[in-house]
Amino acid sequence: MMYQDAVFFQLAGGLAGAGLLLSSCHTRTGPSDTYLGSGDVALLNYLYILEQLEAAFYTQAFATPYYGMTTSELQLLQDVRDQEIAHREFLMTLLGKSAVPAISLNFSMVTFADRGSVLSYAATIEDMVISGFNGAAHLFTNTDMVLILGKMTCVEARHSAYFRDILTHNTFADNTVVDVNGLGQSGSPATVLALAKTFIHTNFDSSKLPN
Amino acid sequence: MMNLKNILSEIGQTDPEVYEQPKDRRQLLKTFGAKVAVASLPFAASTLFSNKASAKKTDVTPVQVLNFILELEYLAYNFYHTANNVGIGGPAPLIPTADQAGFLTIEGHKRAHIIYLNSLIISLGGTPYTPTNYNPTAANPYFVVSGAYDFTAGGLYPLVFSDYPTFTMIAVTFEDTFIHGYLGQLQYSLSNTMLQAQLMQLQCVVARDAAYVRLVRRFLGYAAAPEHPAPWITNNIPPIASLQPYYNTEDDTIQEGIDILSLPGYSGTTPQISATAAFDEPFDQTTVIGLLAGFILS
Repeated sequence: MMYQDAVFFQLAGGLAGAGLLLSSCHTRTGPSDTYLGSGDVALLNYLYILEQLEAAFYTQAFATPYYGMTTSELQLLQDVRDQEIAHREFLMTLLGKSAVPAISLNFSMVTFADRGSVLSYAATIEDMVISGFNGAAHLFTNTDMVLILGKMTCVEARHSAYFRDILTHNTFADNTVVDVNGLGQSGSPATVLALAKTFIHTNFDSSKLPN
Repeated sequence: MMNLKNILSEIGQTDPEVYEQPKDRRQLLKTFGAKVAVASLPFAASTLFSNKASAKKTDVTPVQVLNFILELEYLAYNFYHTANNVGIGGPAPLIPTADQAGFLTIEGHKRAHIIYLNSLIISLGGTPYTPTNYNPTAANPYFVVSGAYDFTAGGLYPLVFSDYPTFTMIAVTFEDTFIHGYLGQLQYSLSNTMLQAQLMQLQCVVARDAAYVRLVRRFLGYAAAPEHPAPWITNNIPPIASLQPYYNTEDDTIQEGIDILSLPGYSGTTPQISATAAFDEPFDQTTVIGLLAGFILS
């Protein structure tokens, strides 16, 4: 536990700390909104929220496999689920006491028994997360964060390419996610968080989220 | 134990390469000590033992970063452009009909990256890298007809453009190595947020290409592709044993000083295959160029 705090303080530039965050409660926009914090902590909480969303989606998809799931698909779905859980737990550990609580998710639009529904939502969610990470990395005050975010984003891109391609072969990186310059998508935290809200019941106070 | 972790973590945060160096070297020594035929490795071994710590973050300029990436993209473009034209229109194309659109998409990414990187480098006042014997034609200025690359790596892979499993084996190794290369450059972009954002956006497309090639190879089956790859890198498993150096450190399980194996998983703690696959790893420029040297004529 001591060591988790140490990691957090490195991230927070050694001064923000949990106390300061708690004392910022007056900036909340609503009494029951979950406050993300400010600066790097807010950015990390935002990415942690995206990872919570992914981990929960794949946990459900694996628990109730769609009709016609092949052995290969089951195995790779388990892989993705466990990788997203690892991302979620990693970010939670980095955040330590500053981590937002577990969020409440809404996947009512997904038909988990249907292959097309699960794979297309998986791709949608992955593409959203890639865009989110790409658009957040350069906003961190602690510039060392970019490498670890890059390490994770490459894996999210592998996930997206996989789900897209088993849904429709050769669409792993079509022009809906890669522009004419060969660049992947990048979305600002405000934009991507608003998109993510489609799947989230919890309301957030993101007033101090860098953008 | 805890103190050591903290110290390692702090060193890692200051310079990820210092942190990874000892293990990297140990693994290389292990690899060389094993049954791998050193002569079969398509790179100059000496380059792998260079002192990584000697490259300071400030020593590398944005133009140097972009030119290094450009070198990778040129190699990639020439590789796929060649492959995509083998046997096309004939009875036995290298790339099966079903996968041709995918590999053309990848070739398109590489071409777009070359054009974009060229413009970025010029906009920064730099001179863009060009391959050996670069002799641009108006029809395709990014393809070097001869004298720049040897994708058989001096005869190690004579079937690279005639046997689809061999082609995918080299493609998988290239793509994963490109990702390592991109990640290794992120640390040099810290003072330049524009460069940082663009490297992120470029490398995620390379990661999509890597996943596609790995998936295509997975579906070739165990006989043609015994390692049966997932779209992500599990542990540090290469397509064949002699390609191990391209995958060293991919089995790292410590990230930012946190032991991923100790984190809660779906049941119990995180499985090793997921702790390793969840993070791609960086290689420095010297290592990447060393790994690719056998394919690049000088």
